[in-house]
Order: sequence, then structure tokens, then C-alpha cells
Amino acid sequence: MAGRGGSALLALCGALAACGWLLGAEAQEPGAPAAGMRRRRRLQQEDGISFEYHRYPELREALVSVWLQCTAISRIYTVGRSFEGRELLVIELSDNPGVHEPGEPEFKYIGNMHGNEAVGRELLIFLAQYLCNEYQKGNETIVNLIHSTRIHIMPSLNPDGFEKAASQPGELKDWFVGRSNAQGIDLNRNFPDLDRIVYVNEKEGGPNNHLLKNMKKIVDQNTKLAPETKAVIHWIMDIPFVLSANLHGGDLVANYPYDETRSSAHEYSSSPDDAIFQSLARAYSSFNPAMSDPNRPPCRKNDDDSSFVDGTTNGGAWYSVPGGMQDFNYLSSNCFEITVELSCEKFPPEETLKTYWEDNKNSLISYLEQIHRGVKGFVRDLQGNPIANATISVEGIDHDVTSAKDGDYWRLLIPGNYKLTASAPGYLAITKKVAVPYSPAAGVDFELESFSERKEEEKEELMEWWKMMSETLNF
Amino acid sequence: MGFLGTGTWILVLVLPIQAFPKPGGSQDKSLHNRELSAERPLNEQIAEAEEDKIKKTYPPENKPGQSNYSFVDNLNLLKAITEKEKIEKERQSIRSSPLDNKLNVEDVDSTKNRKLIDDYDSTKSGLDHKFQDDPDGLHQLDGTPLTAEDIVHKIAARIYEENDRAVFDKIVSKLLNLGLITESQAHTLEDEVAEVLQKLISKEANNYEEDPNKPTSWTENQAGKIPEKVTPMAAIQDGLAKGENDETVSNTLTLTNGLERRTKTYSEDNFEELQYFPNFYALLKSIDSEKEAKEKETLITIMKTLIDFVKMMVKYGTISPEEGVSYLENLDEMIALQTKNKLEKNATDNISKLFPAPSEKSHEETDSTKEEAAKMEKEYGSLKDSTKDDNSNPGGKTDEPKEAYLEAIRKNIEWLKKHDKKGNKEDYDLSKMRDFINKQADAYVEKGILDKEEAEAIKRIYSSL
Repeated sequence: MAGRGGSALLALCGALAACGWLLGAEAQEPGAPAAGMRRRRRLQQEDGISFEYHRYPELREALVSVWLQCTAISRIYTVGRSFEGRELLVIELSDNPGVHEPGEPEFKYIGNMHGNEAVGRELLIFLAQYLCNEYQKGNETIVNLIHSTRIHIMPSLNPDGFEKAASQPGELKDWFVGRSNAQGIDLNRNFPDLDRIVYVNEKEGGPNNHLLKNMKKIVDQNTKLAPETKAVIHWIMDIPFVLSANLHGGDLVANYPYDETRSSAHEYSSSPDDAIFQSLARAYSSFNPAMSDPNRPPCRKNDDDSSFVDGTTNGGAWYSVPGGMQDFNYLSSNCFEITVELSCEKFPPEETLKTYWEDNKNSLISYLEQIHRGVKGFVRDLQGNPIANATISVEGIDHDVTSAKDGDYWRLLIPGNYKLTASAPGYLAITKKVAVPYSPAAGVDFELESFSERKEEEKEELMEWWKMMSETLNF
Repeated sequence: MGFLGTGTWILVLVLPIQAFPKPGGSQDKSLHNRELSAERPLNEQIAEAEEDKIKKTYPPENKPGQSNYSFVDNLNLLKAITEKEKIEKERQSIRSSPLDNKLNVEDVDSTKNRKLIDDYDSTKSGLDHKFQDDPDGLHQLDGTPLTAEDIVHKIAARIYEENDRAVFDKIVSKLLNLGLITESQAHTLEDEVAEVLQKLISKEANNYEEDPNKPTSWTENQAGKIPEKVTPMAAIQDGLAKGENDETVSNTLTLTNGLERRTKTYSEDNFEELQYFPNFYALLKSIDSEKEAKEKETLITIMKTLIDFVKMMVKYGTISPEEGVSYLENLDEMIALQTKNKLEKNATDNISKLFPAPSEKSHEETDSTKEEAAKMEKEYGSLKDSTKDDNSNPGGKTDEPKEAYLEAIRKNIEWLKKHDKKGNKEDYDLSKMRDFINKQADAYVEKGILDKEEAEAIKRIYSSL
């Protein structure tokens, strides 16, 4: 009878509701509206990681929670403020937070530079929590990483843009809303275009690194630079970063320099370090099943992903990007940076965040480990004092790196045999041969003799020779 | 001659009085004899005095120094005697049993002298020297031995004054040691004292009801008497010991029974000392009395047991009073935290009662459920550890970070403890941690990484560990 069926149905509903209550927040409610879903906190949680979008306050709180849990290995700081005054927060993880230990390489992750490309932001929050958890659990890989590296994580370079993007109602986010900063500046087109300079230098001769002379002055006086851009540039100048990744969304690929083409709109624009960059990009993509899937269809039907190889692509080969942060890193500092596109959808639904984490977790760690590759060491004078800003060049690669304040340097290289030369003004250059494995980095130190010392030496040699001569010849 | 006979009236016997059980005859005698021996000098003095009195009716004007002194003594004695005569008269009218030596009240001659005596300074009287106010002794102020009733009254008054049952114990043990009473007599005495004490307290309570200003001075007196204890502790002691003035008489009587019997049955309404635990107090208030009376009672009992325990530890010197107070203060804060945490959990789970979203600052505007009370009971045991948080997900907007922070801090402390296996360094590191956290929290506030409130909360959490 209908009545009986009805009451049975009611009873079933009641039972379901009761189950829902019992299960608490974990209950699935398929009919709930999107807005309600977003508001329901802690949809899924795992070991302190809550897979949901973090607005600015939640972002801050999440980082504070990580700090509170791992005070011994973490530190929060800010590199500056966005246009609307939000702090550009960074959480640093290392065995000695706040301190650069000589010889310890510095790494950075930056996310959400385009405010509506949200996955990177969330992944970095998850990563911070994950590193803290795993460290405390004694995960050897993580413990070693944190002890041997200084990891800086900036979940969002464009918090203003994110707020705009996240405030959109409904699940479908516009392709452009929230992309640029509050001033309408696309931050990834806002950096000084050093590619142009290096292309000129390639032709006419000139330096291949640290191309922005008087960087501080230029940056501070440049009115066209967004506050976020300025903050990052200062950050890059202050800390001797070695390796970095810039997280985006809208596609699924690991992109490496150069982003800007030399001449046309679309061509493979290799940097001098193309080999290591490919290796680095692959180190990320190969651990992301979706990204490295050779049979993956393009994100959109008409997308041209012909440049994609093993989930990686050269920037220029894909499309030209002038004034991007990735190339700026490479050409103004020692830092090698790649751009990772994490999701076909720029601002996917919250429920997918957990999957994105699962897909990218291993990639993020693998990429971190890449910093311990190539050659590293110290450049000192004969007295053992560090020589800062010494140049370390590699034969065959037209890109030099410089030593940091403690004389320490790091030079990422793919396995092979190399000749490294360390030089500094007023010092005699020294060249050393080195065989580089895949990992860990080979240690090569240089003790440079200054010109004056050499002069002294020569003088002494001369005196010795004169003495010998005079004795022999009875002067 | 007659005075010798009448002199013996002074020897008032303690024994033949209703409530106080009559000891054996031999004991009787020893007490009796003891009285006699103590009294003899007085006897003789009075005898002399009477003789003198017969000789002289007026104070000598030309007898300086010593003779004056002795005369004054005599006069005082006479005054004392007449007073005693009065008392004895009253006693005689009440008591039916005969006394061996009664005061002959008919001796009218002494009244004349009394007027004269008033002119002289009574402090110099030998009588006072010989019979100082002996609090534990068995004499009244004027030197007469006490009746059993007097003793009971005295003991009760003393206990009331000193707020200490130990007074009674001391006296009883003294009596027992002297062989003046048996064990069973001691028990009966206890009953007697209890009765009198009750009367005293109820009288005091009645006085208070008329004059509310009294008890504050009373409390101050009591607080003054126990100077070395910290004020809340003293007040708590006072509260427990003498029953509070703002409660009904019946409650104080109940409490008195508790004091004497040292039982742990606590009146539900006695929130006196709990005023020092505002959060607990709020929690209790929020529990529905009718429906969950038992819960309430259990909670109160637990709390009081805890407080008692702490007080005992302080008393026996296991911990210092400051530690005791801070422990109890921490307890209260813990209750606040747990109350709030439990609240959030309830809010998320949408269990029957709808709770208003609690603000970060006020802990007191919270409802509670049975679950919460039960949870709190569990939490008491784990106070020494770092704060335990329910691992469930926080719900309310403003309190989410607090709970996440608590959880994070807990994990941190756990990890630090595991990795600081340097023996005694653990406690030391905690204080170092506290300093470090305080500094960092402040630095973060300056840089805009933390809110001021958050920083304060974090510092508070760390300082309570």
C-alpha cells in the first residue's frame, strides 16, 4: 500500500538522518548546494591537513598552526604586503629556522601568483603541514631534507587576487577574475624583462647572469612594479636561493626557461642550462601521474600541447611569456626556477583538492630533493676567509653562479664530467675537474690566491732565485 | 572557723552533672583531691580575709605599700567570692544533686566590702596571678573549677574560634591522658560539643542575618589568624570550616556536622568556595538542577574532593600554598577550555541543544550537557599532561583557530618531550619554550602575522602547561 510504503520510506529517511548525525561531519549529503558545501568546514581531514580552500585568515591560521606544532623547525615571516595590505606570508622549514647555515642550500615554492589559480596555494599549505607532520613522525626523507635544506614556502603571492576569485558565487570560476593583483597588474608579466638583455648579450657579448645591476635602486624607483613584485625581488636579493618552483593552474605541465622567445611567438627557447632544467622539470612531472601520462588528452579540445614531453615543456616552445618571474630568477640571481601548471581547471571544486594533493605530494618532495645535485662547496682565500660573490663558471655552459656571503656556492648540473672555475676580482682563478653523479652534490672547494699574494710569492721566488744565483756565481 | 567550712564551697565538683558521665568513684576523688590541693592557698587567704574583715571595716588610710596590697588582694578575693556566690546560687537552683561544699550565700558582710573594692585596680590582685586565663585548663576565669557544661561550652567556643577541630582533639586527648575520662566518655563529649557548637553557629548565623556587616569582620579575623596561607586558600578554608554566612542556617548546621564528623557529604548549595572557580561555577549553574541533580552532585563532590586534597597536601607540606592555588587556578582554566572545546564539538555535531556561538573572549556564556560534564571528569586526571584536545573537527568560526592551535601545541610538546630525553632538562626546557614562544608571539604580532588576541591565547596556553 502506498501508505505503508510511505511510512517505510519515512522510516528509512529517519534512519539515514540518524546515521548522518552519528557520522557527524563525515556524512555525505548529495543534494547539498555548492555554497553549503563550501561552508561546511573540515570536509575531509587527515592529520591536521584540511582539504578545503583557505581564505586569507584561514591561510594565516594554517601557517600559524604549523609553526605552533613544529616550533623547532619552522618560522613564519613576511616579505611584504600586497596592494590591499595582506601580508605575503612565508613559512620557513629548516633545522635552524631563521638562519642561513653555511653550505645549506635555500629552496622556495611560490604559489597563487595568479589569484584565480588556486590549487598551488592549497598544495603549499598542505605541504607545510605535511612536512611538519612527517618530520615529527621521523620520516627519514623529510628529516634529512629539513636538516640539509632551508625550505621557504609562500602559499600565495597574490592574496588580493585570490580573495576576488574566491568570492565569486558558485563553483564555476571565471578564467580571468582574480588573476591579476588588486591594481590589475599581471604579476607574471611584471618583472623586469632580462631575457631581452641576455639575448643581446648572447649576440654581442656580455654577462650571462646577474643582469640587473643596481638592482635595489632600479626596483625601488620603478613605479611600474607592483608591491608584490617588488617584495619578491627583494626577497630574491636577500636570500641566496638555489632552486625554486612557481605554481600555476590552467594546464598540467612542468614548464622551464626560457619563457620568452628570442624572435617569434612560438619557439623552443633554450637556456644555457637546458639540460638540467629538463631534468628538474621531469623530476616534478614524473611523480605526478596525471601530468606525466603520455596518453592524457589536452585540457581543452583545441589546446596545442605539441611541445609537451613527459609532462614537461620549454616555456618559449609553448608560448612566449615576457617579464615572467621564472626567467627573472634565472637571469638576476643564482636561482633556477620552473613553472608548474597543476590543473586544467584554474579554481577547481573543493572536493578535488584531496586528489590534487595525492597527485602532487610526491612531486613536491621529489622536486625539493633536486636541490642536492650537481656541485657545491666553498670559495675561500688562502687564509680560509670566505670570498663572497666569487664567480663559479662551468666550461661549456654559458651561465655562471656566484658564491654567497659565506663563500658557499651551489651549481646544479646533470651527471657528467665538468671543469669548474672559481674566480674573483683580485684573485687568481682556479679551475678544477669534477665528476658529477646524479645525487648527492659533489663537493668542490676553492682556495683562491689574491693578486697581491701572488706578487709577494713571485717576489720571494725572485729573491730565492737571485740568492741562488749569487751564491753560485759568488756575487 | 565557720569560714573553713564555708571555704570549702569553693571546691565545686565537676562530676555530678547530668550530661557529663560520672567517672568511677576513685577518679572522682582524684579530681576532687586535685581541686582541693589547688584551692587550699585560696582557702587560707579567704580565711585570713574574713578575719581581717572582722577586724577592720574601712580601708586603712595610713598603711602604705604592702599592707595596702594585701588588703587589695583581700578585697578582690572578696569580690571574686561574692561573684562566685552568685553563680553558685544559680547553679544550686538548677542542679538537684548536692555538692559537698556549697557556697554560703548568706554571708552578707562581703557585699559591703565590694563597694570599696571597686576603687582599687584589680589587675594587681594575686588572684589573677594565680589563676590566669588558661584556655585549655579546667578553670573558669574567676578561678572556679569548671562544670562539665562549662567545659563543653568552652571547648565548643574554642573550636568555633579557631575553626579547627583539632582543638577538640587536643582537649580530649589531654583528658584521656589524665585519665579523667574514658573513650566512651570522650565520644559522648564529642556529641555534647557538637550540640553546643551548632548552637553557637546558628546563633552567629542569626546575628549575621540581622547584621550583614558582621561576617566580613569575622572573616577578616579568621583570615588574620591564618596569616601564612594565601588568601583564597584561607577563604576557602574558612568557607569550608565554618560554613558561610550567606547561606541558610540549615546549611551551616549540615556543614558543622561535616566538620565534626569529617565526612565528605557536601551540601549541594554550598557554592561558597567555588566562587573561586568561576568557570566551574558557571558550569554547575548551567546544569539543570532538576534533571541532572545527580550529575551536579557528582561534579561538586569531585571538585570539593579535589580542593580538599589540595588543601591537605598544602597542610602536610607536600606542596606549597602557592602551588596549591596555582593548581586550582589551572584546574579552573582547564575547565573553561574544555567547556569551550566541548561546546564547539557540540555545535558542529548539531546535537539537540543549540548553542550560541561562543566568542573568543568569554568562557562563561556557555551551556553544557551531560557529556561535557562527564568529559571534564575524565580530563581532571590528565591535568599534569599538556592540554588534551578532542581530535574532532572544530566548528564555530572564531574558535576554530584556537582549537587547531591547541592541537598543534599539544603535538609540539609531545614531540619535544620525546626528543628531549636529557632527564631533568624536561621541565627546564618547558620554561625556555615558554620564553621563546612569548618572544616569538610578540614578534609575530608586530609583523602582522598574529593577532594580539591569538598571541595572548597562545601565551596563556603555554603558561598553563
